[in-house]
Amino acid sequence: MKSEILYPGAFPMVRVELEAGENIKAESGAMVACSPTIDIESKMEGGFLGALSRKFLTGEKFFFQTLRATRGPGEALLAPTVPGEIVILELDGVNDYMVQKDGFLAGAEGIVIENKMQGLSRGLLGGEGFFILNISGKGMLVLNSFGAIHKIELKPNQEYIVDNSHLVAWSSTTSYNIEKATSGWVASFTSGEGFVCRFRGPGLVFIQSRNPGSFGAWIRQFIPVSE
Amino acid sequence: MTTMSPNALCFGDEFPAAGAPCLVQVEEHGLTITFASDPADGQPESVPYSSLAVSAGGLDHDQLVVKWAGEKGERTLYLKNPDVIRAFRETVPSHLSLPFAQAAEQVRQVRHRRRLVWSLAGGMILSTVLGLWFGSDILVEIAVSRIPVEWEQKLGESAYRDFLSHQEVMKEGPAVAALGEMTQRMTAQILDNPYKFEVTVVKSDVVNAFALPGGYVVVFTGLMKKAESGEEVAGVLSHELNHVLQRHGLERIVKSLGIMTVAAIVFGNQQGLVGMMKQLGVELFTLKFGREQETEADLKGLQLLQRAKIDPAGMITFFERLSEKDEGRMEWLSTHPMNAARADRLKAELAALPKKSPEPFTFDWKQVQVSLGSQPVVAP
Repeated sequence: MKSEILYPGAFPMVRVELEAGENIKAESGAMVACSPTIDIESKMEGGFLGALSRKFLTGEKFFFQTLRATRGPGEALLAPTVPGEIVILELDGVNDYMVQKDGFLAGAEGIVIENKMQGLSRGLLGGEGFFILNISGKGMLVLNSFGAIHKIELKPNQEYIVDNSHLVAWSSTTSYNIEKATSGWVASFTSGEGFVCRFRGPGLVFIQSRNPGSFGAWIRQFIPVSE
Repeated sequence: MTTMSPNALCFGDEFPAAGAPCLVQVEEHGLTITFASDPADGQPESVPYSSLAVSAGGLDHDQLVVKWAGEKGERTLYLKNPDVIRAFRETVPSHLSLPFAQAAEQVRQVRHRRRLVWSLAGGMILSTVLGLWFGSDILVEIAVSRIPVEWEQKLGESAYRDFLSHQEVMKEGPAVAALGEMTQRMTAQILDNPYKFEVTVVKSDVVNAFALPGGYVVVFTGLMKKAESGEEVAGVLSHELNHVLQRHGLERIVKSLGIMTVAAIVFGNQQGLVGMMKQLGVELFTLKFGREQETEADLKGLQLLQRAKIDPAGMITFFERLSEKDEGRMEWLSTHPMNAARADRLKAELAALPKKSPEPFTFDWKQVQVSLGSQPVVAP
């Protein structure tokens, strides 16, 4: 399986080359185009209950699609719904990532996707909701973001502060606490940041350069209000 | 070793920030670490126990963090494989057992605190819901008593008109006249009646009757065909009238609205409120009255029959007969579960009431049934 990011920037696509018999799972609706040798199957990852809980708990799609090169090698083009960058990670079975609910685009066969419940303060204030995806296993993992993706590398005990709802994915070796952006409660909200996540290394944190919630609020003012 | 499956991540200055996957083996003298990235000079690195420091770390504080000062600076190892951690714990020398126990204690504390917070939050939500469902009767009564009858009538009327528009309504005839007489005799005995009862006969073989808030009652011809006397139908009617008089439908609506509101607050589903209001119309028909409400309607119904000088025995015999026979679908029973205890309670209540000589109806029930197109019922 080989992969390549086409048109890097705001509107990228991923081209995945599959050998005969190989398959890749992708977010439902992610397939843009593919070779005629590839079959598209709809699959409820983790069984019906797993899919149901993913749908209701994380807001991810109920079905994943599986693209399988059943009739010989071929390629598939995949793209996310929102404008924003794509990043390809290689999982080796030891490093696993927490991914916020909209971050997953595609993953190789050996990738395991599970729902994970966050603690109360992280769930309420972290901006990712109570349930996130815990992605582990072996193989390629494709993530997408809203805006550009920025990688933060943290050494052991190195700290970094990220505004909530800018998170895309982070390694499970990092840890984070939710705190107020400034020392006072009022200033914390008037500064426009509210709560922030203080990350502590080691590990990687991927953040997105735009905040989907704020963008939604901004665009709402231009939508005409009909009855 | 050609293929190795790493079981830990090692962090250090010369490694990538994501950590270097490595294989950790627990041995007698210390840990042996083989890196996956450079098999060429893949000399396993040995670290004696004496130079190690352990703690808990990672996102949920559930990983074992091992630190030591290596030749090339400080190294940090993140372990989460339970087998390795167990092996490590078993062979660990005494100077590490205390920090090891502390790390384990830290993991336990984090998990414990998390469970505590979640069970507190869950308990609060649960008790709010349960409190509303069970302990809310007084609140519901207060709320219901504040709803004006006009509102109740509007609510019931829209659902009633909507239902009748899909049904074949019987406008006149002996059946309508008979029900009119029953209603008239009973409503005359209700003091301070704020409701204008409207009883409609609907052509359907369903053995059922129901009442909507505001005094709208529907009786299906199926029920009238099944009854052996006018007194039996009057019994069902009396029961339904008392659901209206006791405002049972409204109580259920207020209760389910309360639950829905709490659910909407908890789950933050604003769309749900709109859908809920729409569904309310449907809900009215499927409203299952609670056991207490059924008992109340039974007893009050019996008393009403008594006051109207209609033989109350008809109510009991009809209920009993319906519960004994299992032929056909008894719709009325599906929402009004019949059991021996219920009939017995009614009989006991009837015995306690002062005897009154019943006055017969002016209509002949057999003729009413013939007008409905039914063969005269032959007793089994």
